[in-house]
Amino acid sequence: MNIDINDTDPATPLYRLSKVDKTYRKNGRAILAVRDIDLSIRQGEWLAIQGKTGHGKTTLLQLLGGLDRPTAGSIKFAGHDLAVAPEARVRKVRAGSFGFIFQTFNLVPTLTAHENVEAALIPLGVHHAQRHKRVKEALDSVGLADRAQHLPAELSGGQQQRVAIARALVKQPRVLLADEPTGNLDEDTRNEIIGLLEGLWRERRLTLVLVSHDSQVVKRAQRIGLMSRGRLSIRIDTRAP
Amino acid sequence: MFFVKYLRRELHRRMRQAIFIALGLAIGIGLVITVIGASSGVKAAQDKVLRALYGIGTDVTVTTNLKPLSGPPKSGAPRCNPAGSGAGRVAVINGKCYTSGTVDFLVPGYGPMSAASIASIARLHDVAAAAGGLDLTDNRVDLSASSIGPPTSFTVDGTDIKNSTLGPLSDATLTKGRSFTAADADSDVAVVDSGYATSNNLKVGSTTLIGGAKFKVIGIVSQPEASSPPDFYIPLARAQALSTNPATGKSFAGQVDTIYVTAGNAADIAAVQHEIGHLLPSATITTSSGLASELTGSASSAAKLAGALGKWLAALVLIVAFAVASLLTIAATTRRVPEFGTLKAIGWRSSRIVGQVLGESVTTGILGGALGVGLGFAGVAIIDKIAPKLSEALPSSSGAGQLQQTTAGPGGVVNGPAGAAASHATVSVPMSASVTIGAIVLAVVLAIAGGLLAGTFGGWRAARLRPAAALARVG
Repeated sequence: MNIDINDTDPATPLYRLSKVDKTYRKNGRAILAVRDIDLSIRQGEWLAIQGKTGHGKTTLLQLLGGLDRPTAGSIKFAGHDLAVAPEARVRKVRAGSFGFIFQTFNLVPTLTAHENVEAALIPLGVHHAQRHKRVKEALDSVGLADRAQHLPAELSGGQQQRVAIARALVKQPRVLLADEPTGNLDEDTRNEIIGLLEGLWRERRLTLVLVSHDSQVVKRAQRIGLMSRGRLSIRIDTRAP
Repeated sequence: MFFVKYLRRELHRRMRQAIFIALGLAIGIGLVITVIGASSGVKAAQDKVLRALYGIGTDVTVTTNLKPLSGPPKSGAPRCNPAGSGAGRVAVINGKCYTSGTVDFLVPGYGPMSAASIASIARLHDVAAAAGGLDLTDNRVDLSASSIGPPTSFTVDGTDIKNSTLGPLSDATLTKGRSFTAADADSDVAVVDSGYATSNNLKVGSTTLIGGAKFKVIGIVSQPEASSPPDFYIPLARAQALSTNPATGKSFAGQVDTIYVTAGNAADIAAVQHEIGHLLPSATITTSSGLASELTGSASSAAKLAGALGKWLAALVLIVAFAVASLLTIAATTRRVPEFGTLKAIGWRSSRIVGQVLGESVTTGILGGALGVGLGFAGVAIIDKIAPKLSEALPSSSGAGQLQQTTAGPGGVVNGPAGAAASHATVSVPMSASVTIGAIVLAVVLAIAGGLLAGTFGGWRAARLRPAAALARVG
């Protein structure tokens, strides 16, 4: 059932988006990537956003992660309005609260798996010894402790994505934002990765927002939204009331 | 340290490009060092010439123009009677009659000034010391020769032996015998230049004729290479007594033709020049820098070339090197925009990212600077090895003076040629280029500046993008 919903569930929303628009200019033309989004996301929920390419899924995810600012509207996260907060504050929130997982893994090619994960702790000013310990634990949790000293070029796609997940988790974020995390992986590896994500989500009570065009991936989520021409509609909501 | 690890890995990944940038900077910096080395080498050589000309410590020299001989030599019958002298020669030189032997004349290069002027100059406010001297040429005419040609000559400096820190002798090094003492003030003793002594087989203890008087050689001195020193140094009082003012035919007693002046400090030289000009309005007052501008020759041309063209060329090459380094760094950081976008996404500050890029480019710059210093040393060594001998034409401080002679022999009176008066002496200037500490410091500064410039452009471009825009460049 398609429901065009103004989600006003007041139960501990971690996020509250209100009338959010995002317009890009490309070749002199204005492109409205996201239009009039009203959305609440609860602490600990798993929201998957599905839709065709170019309909605004990634843009919405980037707005949720403070990687970009909306053209209009507000994005309230844990008391901060990411739409208007100073860049330094948004950066701090990104550093401490958000973990990102990208379709193309986005590992630094000259750093080992250990160092790539460690890079996420640098902005938090964690002491060297403490960094080392946490990185080891993060790599353990994704099953890559034995690959810590390998460069990304020496890892398979699935292994690289695991490193990226470890990098996202090492900072103990409140929110995990995954943009097509299985987009570049084969079917078996996809299942492996999505299983890993689901396990971590349950175990750590993370808030997970995942964008994918793959139905096999999104069906595992509690809530599934559909982005169509920049508008979001919630299709399935299996969260507890 | 994470920063250093990341920097090292990144430079290793882009080693070829880093080396290319470093080499470009090295060439620019090496050229700057070489030009500075060559320029300072030419200047040092010129300074040696100037120092030898007037000695260490002389900031200003004062001279006057020598008045020309008035009128042609007397024509008609000479005072001497040629008819009764048989086959002998008769010469009238500066109004005096000579019939035989060798005639020896000491004549000055400049006009006379009263010795009292020295004390007046020494009393001026900004003057530290003043001394006088006579810059003479001894012309020798041999009447016993079958034909009387132009005189042979050598140069003589009448030295104020009470003021040994000023004048041409001050820069000389005693190699044999002794120099003057106060007791020599009125003695016929001479110190000889080593080059002249060797050519004329003179030793300590030898005797020689100067101005018609017999002088004993008491010491031999050498002057710095590339100088044009006098052949002999004799006490000023004796030089004054023996020399002849061609305009008057009288001696230079109580007079000098050059006054050497030391200023209180370098900043006072212009003031000293001005004050002496008031005191002696008709004098020619020359400072070291003024004299430097009179020097001509390939050394001066080389100095101008190194100073003007050389510096411009080095600056141009350096600008090109900086530009190439900046462009290559911008290109490299553009390729890394998605990487920087990811780092920003995980919370890295823009300043940290710029710092990372700056660190990489400054490291490359320092490598370029080190290579540049090496290239500079090599360039200077090559110049040292292959540089042609330069020459400098000095305005004459040892003029041949003027000599007017009339000779008569069987067949009548013959008016002889005036003595040749040289106005310039050409000396060869050995040039040695060297790398100075200042040049090395400049190289380090340029290297760091080059790295900072390249890194600032590149890093700024990379860091100014929002994370979303940077990430959009993936794939």
